[in-house]
Amino acid sequence: MKLSDIMSHAGLTGYAEVALILFISAFLGITWYVFSPRQKRSMEEARRLTVDDEPIRPPRPQSGADA
Amino acid sequence: MTVQGESFSYDDAIVRKFMVATFIWGLVGMLVGLLIALELANPAVNLGLPWLSFGRLRPLHTNAVIFAFAGNAFFTGAYYSSQRLLKTRMFSDALSRFHFWGWQIIIVCAALTLPLGYTQAKEYAELEWPIDIMIAVVWVVFAINFFGTIAKRRERHLYVAIWFYIASIVTVAILHIFNNLSIPVGPLKSYSIYAGAQDAFMQWWYGHNAVAFFLTTPFLGLMYYFLPKAADRPVFSYRLSILHFWTVVFLYIWAGPHHLHYTALPEWASTLGMLFSVMLWMPSWGGMINGLLTLRGAWKKVVEDPVLKFFVVAVTAYGMATFEGPMLSVKSVNALAHYTDWIIAHVHTGALGWNGLLTFGMMYWLMPRLFQTKLHSQKMAEVHFWFATFGIILYATAIYSAGLTQGLMWRAFDETGRLQFPDFVETVVKLLPMYWARAAGGTLYLVGMVLFGYNMLMTWRKRPAKYEVPVQTAPALISPYPPPPATAPAPGGVLTRFSRAAYHRTWERLPLTFTVLVVVAVVVASLFEIIPTFLIKSNIPTIASVKPYTPLELAGRDLYIREGCFNCHSQMIRPLRHETERYGEYSKPGESVYDHPFLWGSRRIGPDLAREGGKYPDLWHVRHMDDPRSITPKSIMPSYAWLAKNPLDFGGIQKRVDVMAMLGVPYGDAVNRAEAMAHNQAQALAKSIESQGGPKGLGDREIIAMVAYLQRLGVDIKKAAPGTVARATAGVP
Repeated sequence: MKLSDIMSHAGLTGYAEVALILFISAFLGITWYVFSPRQKRSMEEARRLTVDDEPIRPPRPQSGADA
Repeated sequence: MTVQGESFSYDDAIVRKFMVATFIWGLVGMLVGLLIALELANPAVNLGLPWLSFGRLRPLHTNAVIFAFAGNAFFTGAYYSSQRLLKTRMFSDALSRFHFWGWQIIIVCAALTLPLGYTQAKEYAELEWPIDIMIAVVWVVFAINFFGTIAKRRERHLYVAIWFYIASIVTVAILHIFNNLSIPVGPLKSYSIYAGAQDAFMQWWYGHNAVAFFLTTPFLGLMYYFLPKAADRPVFSYRLSILHFWTVVFLYIWAGPHHLHYTALPEWASTLGMLFSVMLWMPSWGGMINGLLTLRGAWKKVVEDPVLKFFVVAVTAYGMATFEGPMLSVKSVNALAHYTDWIIAHVHTGALGWNGLLTFGMMYWLMPRLFQTKLHSQKMAEVHFWFATFGIILYATAIYSAGLTQGLMWRAFDETGRLQFPDFVETVVKLLPMYWARAAGGTLYLVGMVLFGYNMLMTWRKRPAKYEVPVQTAPALISPYPPPPATAPAPGGVLTRFSRAAYHRTWERLPLTFTVLVVVAVVVASLFEIIPTFLIKSNIPTIASVKPYTPLELAGRDLYIREGCFNCHSQMIRPLRHETERYGEYSKPGESVYDHPFLWGSRRIGPDLAREGGKYPDLWHVRHMDDPRSITPKSIMPSYAWLAKNPLDFGGIQKRVDVMAMLGVPYGDAVNRAEAMAHNQAQALAKSIESQGGPKGLGDREIIAMVAYLQRLGVDIKKAAPGTVARATAGVP
């Protein structure tokens, strides 16, 4: 018996719906994560990366020779 | 605590290289596009040269604008933004250079092989196997360089643009490898390991996702970096961008089968493709809204700054194309639009609008920074913007009308219930004014491109004698990640951890895990689609009377592929009344089980050929290929006069048959004496042409194989009993 015989008789009529349920669960999970209040600070940090992408410079000495 | 700074600099030389390459290949790709647009309006434009004919240049145009222009644009932006977002230099300068030169060599190979007729006949995957291997190698090098850069980053967060780049890199690799699996027949010729409906399914799983992961996700990454940069404000909603990312990655993979509605693909697969395509509308518009709202409060800048103008129209074009895409995937809309210019209009809204304008905006923003001087002319950039925008409007208006016109004419019935326009050429002649308008729109866009190049050249000439390489300083990432602050309660059960999103924060810090998740999303979705199509027998019922092509017909089929006939002629009659009236019985999946690769086509610039066999006498085909207008005065098909002059390569036929047999095509006796069989059939066919009053001595010319193939198309299914010999093989002893 070949794999294709097994698959043909496996009764996979609901196969497509499983995909839909999988997707919707993943979607709900991600939405939950994205909007959880815990994420607020981290999201804001990430959001500002484009405008703050100049590297953080080490504190310069107040006086005297260059660092 | 003191911050330990590390010094480093960014590699902008590689970004400059990619930027110049983007312009050069963009210009080439668009020039070829204009040339083939003119060839459709007037076939004489190809000067009768094989390598300038539409069928061979169309793939060159699509490959050049997708992989050369948009590809280099993606690399330009990715190399610039990744270094800055990750606060580190690229992992290896040598790998960056290998990536750059490797990619350009691939493009040159494509530009040489496609006009010469070396093609796999799969849309956007036309390049033959040695070039496919080169692409895989260069892509892997790019991936190593990119992930190496992530590994040595100095910024904890991976900004969403980096996510989009990661998804693009891994998915393109998967798509490229699986769709291009083939068995070589010669140094530049191969047969796909898949056949018929399965090949079609793989191809459009690839084809649609090439649009998704080569033209959409990379450019969304660029949008999320360069739009906030140019507007000088952070993205409107970072949360929305994450939702946008995951939903786009999840949904796109499923959407491919919408390219195959009403074809011989199983119904469930095309319904699934439609459903996911419609769902895609939402995240896409989420992304568009996110882009546009980033500009809130900065609209005044849009008036003054050409960069933002380009971005605004690009994002709007993204919105239009991603509304239209889901709409086109709805079966009833698709029934009208498929095979017409509507699809061409749709892709050009996306390519010229979204990819083109986003690239131009990004590059006008980059030029002063990379060449370390002021942009040569702001005014000229402004003029470029208007040329490009009006070019798109003219192009789109003309080609949308062409698509609708032809689609409606094909399905029109008169009051007696017969086709109102039974002559296919009537529906073509109607489009010619629109084809000229399209060429005019394309010219406007190209003029803008030339201005862009001139502006870049002049800016480059004002560069400093030596580029300044600023030294950056940033603290290294402390490894491992510091524990959460003591105020946070100790982690509880799985659910508590989940609700605090602790898991995702961990994934986000772990690019490897993140990448694995993207791969899982892509692979799971793909398997859900592919496994049933490949393994459930009832999906592709076999038809006993369908037999493999004879050796001569197989050689003819390869010529059909070489000349790119599938770019204008489909071989797939849909089960719609107007199609069966016009072309005959609709196509069954079982009819193309021996077709490595499938040649269903995606556009009908000429009529469908699935039932061409036996429709006309052999001599008709000889004359028609030599001079189509001697038979159909208004035809826009180019002449293929060289087929009657070129000698047919009989010596190569045995190898072709052997490879087909290896792929499981039941060739029987032909594996031993393919060449002799081909000779016999060719002589018999040449005699028949002669007896019909045609030219003598065609028995050893390419045309004979082509006619044999065309006369075989769709005849098997008409045979009642299995095992009968095909019409065209009657002369074979």
